[in-house]
Amino acid sequence: MPWPLLLLLCGSCGVFEFHPYELRGGDRDRHARSLERLRRDTREGAFRFAVIGDMQLFLDESAAAVRDIQRRDVAFVVQLGDLTEYGSAKEYEWAAGLLEELPVPYFAVIGNHDVLGTGADIYRRTFGPTFLSFDYAGSRFVLYDSNSREYGFPGNVPDLEALREALTPEPGLTHLFTFSHVPPGHGDFDATLSQPLEALQAERGVSVSFHAHIHRFDSNERQGVRYFVADSLENRNYLLVSVQGESVQVERVFY
Amino acid sequence: MAAGWHSRAFLVAALLLVSTAALSEPSREGPPWYVPDHATFQFAGSIGLFSGGPGWSFLDESVEAGLLLGWAPPLVAGEDFLTLTLKGQLHPFRLEWEGWSVRPLTVGMLFSYTFGDAYFVRLPDRYEDGYYWFKTGLRPALLLGAGAGRPVPALGLRLLEGYFELVATDYRIIHFLQDPGTVETGLFSLALGVRFRF
Repeated sequence: MPWPLLLLLCGSCGVFEFHPYELRGGDRDRHARSLERLRRDTREGAFRFAVIGDMQLFLDESAAAVRDIQRRDVAFVVQLGDLTEYGSAKEYEWAAGLLEELPVPYFAVIGNHDVLGTGADIYRRTFGPTFLSFDYAGSRFVLYDSNSREYGFPGNVPDLEALREALTPEPGLTHLFTFSHVPPGHGDFDATLSQPLEALQAERGVSVSFHAHIHRFDSNERQGVRYFVADSLENRNYLLVSVQGESVQVERVFY
Repeated sequence: MAAGWHSRAFLVAALLLVSTAALSEPSREGPPWYVPDHATFQFAGSIGLFSGGPGWSFLDESVEAGLLLGWAPPLVAGEDFLTLTLKGQLHPFRLEWEGWSVRPLTVGMLFSYTFGDAYFVRLPDRYEDGYYWFKTGLRPALLLGAGAGRPVPALGLRLLEGYFELVATDYRIIHFLQDPGTVETGLFSLALGVRFRF
């Protein structure tokens, strides 16, 4: 009989799936692990970090980005959401598996595609809460969910209260960086919250606000805050951010 | 999750039971086409931990259609998943060998509907037309498999067949075409099953 042979051949292919949106197996709580690694890195002074855009159906290009980042001296990497196209468990596994190849800690924002089906639960299981704030080398980094349309514009996505609290000035904090998938002002961002968010970021002196979603690089300044939209990885480029004292430089890296 | 989908699922289960029950009624002229001639019980394959239901064969059993109600419990899948799947299969070859009936190749496809408000077949109102190009509640997949069986007269079975299927769901196929380096063998997941032919 040929089929037991085929069974053997298939032994390494992930093998069983009970539902596309199953919450099962896989590596969990990756953000907690990244934070733990980051805490052990007590570097002070100048540092760099990388910011990568939508991965969706561009996983091979994302793998190439990971290989490129491996050669650079970055402290950590932030992915800006849309790790997946369908929000399925298998895609989460592929995307997280790619990020796991990074030699440094990594964080991922939740994107609108990542919410589909039980995707938001798979995200929380794989990475952790969708709102995350952490400090590194005198800077604060805040990741939040801005996929307002996915929830039918409930009025509290993004969660400005949590953001306001996370962006509270503290002695010793030089820079504030924020990260969300949908940029404010986009039709998928709650229109009633765009202005308040931009005003809050201006008031708190956010250094750079990072976004993705539109699959096209963009950068502009609103109320004194710099906004960057990272290209999708389909276009084989990402952002490299250099922080040195008061100075923050963002460059596009093509690979 | 709303209670609505549970009652819909029970209705479907009842219909499946009724159609399977029709089997036990003997008929002198051979059963009409709509009476199933086999039943399937399957493990995994993206349509539940277990799934099962009636099936119909045509053209000397080289073409088959099946309806499967699938379930994955929260304990193993982290969530209560209930699916209804329509499966079509083609078995171009059949070999008889020392009492065994071997079908070395099965190709097919399926459409699997998942019950529940978290999945859509028609885009919800909050999106413009075409915002998502796929349906999270209706999943197509391609199948590649094989099976073998033998008669078990003691159980009244003309044939008791075991089969396996490599299941390539839409998202696996599309990622495989776009990202072969990442997906590799992840194109497929595996389903195992038993077919009871009456």
